Amino acid sequence: MATVDSSKTRSGAPRGAASQMRCQVITPEKTLMDAEVTFVAVPLIDGEMGILPGRAPVVARLGFGELRYDRAGAPRERLYVDGGFLQIRDNQISVLTNRALSLTDLTADSARAELERALAISPTTPEQFAERDRAVARARAQLRLAEAKGSL
Amino acid sequence: MAKARAIIKRRKSVQNIKKITRTMELIATARYRKAQERATEAAAFTRKIGEIVKDLGGATGEVSHPLLSTREPVRRCRLLVITSNRGLAGGYNGNVLRLAARRLVELEAEGIEPILDISGKRGVAFIKFRGLKAETVYTHFDDRPKYDEVEAVAESYAKMYMNGEIDRFEVAYTRFISVSRQEAKLTTLLPMSSAQLTMAGATVAKKGAAAPEPEPRSGEQIPYEFLPDARSILDEIVPIAYKAQLFKCFLDSAVSEQIARMIAMKGATENADEMIKGLTMQYNRARQSQITRELAEIIGGAAALE
Repeated sequence: MATVDSSKTRSGAPRGAASQMRCQVITPEKTLMDAEVTFVAVPLIDGEMGILPGRAPVVARLGFGELRYDRAGAPRERLYVDGGFLQIRDNQISVLTNRALSLTDLTADSARAELERALAISPTTPEQFAERDRAVARARAQLRLAEAKGSL
Repeated sequence: MAKARAIIKRRKSVQNIKKITRTMELIATARYRKAQERATEAAAFTRKIGEIVKDLGGATGEVSHPLLSTREPVRRCRLLVITSNRGLAGGYNGNVLRLAARRLVELEAEGIEPILDISGKRGVAFIKFRGLKAETVYTHFDDRPKYDEVEAVAESYAKMYMNGEIDRFEVAYTRFISVSRQEAKLTTLLPMSSAQLTMAGATVAKKGAAAPEPEPRSGEQIPYEFLPDARSILDEIVPIAYKAQLFKCFLDSAVSEQIARMIAMKGATENADEMIKGLTMQYNRARQSQITRELAEIIGGAAALE
């Protein structure tokens, strides 16, 4: 990961007046995405959050869902993120996630199969209940995205 | 000519071995580069996690989590030894296995029941030779350990720890310090210490590739907003930090293995070179002495005819 002078964005504009921010998507294996963006929407645990440049510092938990970002002069791009964390500071967004997939890698069939598998678990302990809820939420998010993909 | 021919044969086989070791050295070098790259890329994640934990630490005060709580007394300890699947890597496997064997004796002396797990065929062969028993054996980790695979392993240990089946989880692996230095190391992953949570920075860092992040004006806390709240983020981040740690152990081992093999094969190639030189000299001597002998015979025969 390269370091950035926190007092400036890469374009050299002073902080605060920036129209861009830096966004990184980091998985345990590698940094998947590192770009200057103008807008990002991230799925938090309890709903979506839209971020514009100059956002106040945040540390947050991510849920399962779609991460969207706009780059100046480029079409909107989408990623599926599999939980994790979000950190914003100095106009720099870091998304830490176990897994991030491009939407093309997501298929409705595999998501549906996963949902069925998750629903088939019959939990007996609180931990198992939590695990099942997680698996279901995850599969539903994947399914939703995979199905919406066609209508974009 | 019998002796000279035997030497030539020998020299030829040494030359062939040299070709093989040389190739292995090149392959190990290429794999080492790749492994190092992966390790460097993975370091970004652990570093960020450490950063967030530090940020959270200020907001929550004392950190408590089932994976962080120590247990007294420790009755059962699980020891995972990370070795390679392939040999010809110099002291790489020997060092880590020696360390593990020593640790087993120590644990038994302390009255703790050790349960041994092995990753890598070399380690399996070793414990078989020693007459020890391994509970679980992993042989699917190669020079490119995948996070998903490591995560599954990490999860099974975390579950055992939370259920109280084990009271401690240790890993014996080869830590990568620099290209010229790797050491067999024993580290306790469970219970995790708070220091481990924040120590993310000390990861495999390629020279110059990852300059340390400028410390965000120490003393002055960044006024973070926590969503939903600091405690729930922390609950979530502890297991992930633990998994990232285990992943790092595997990555470190993979890098170290390739370096060890590279160095071992380099030594072998050099030794083969030396041997070829020695054999060539021996051959030349043998040939010369044969010629001399034949000449002497001819001269002797001619002298007898006179």
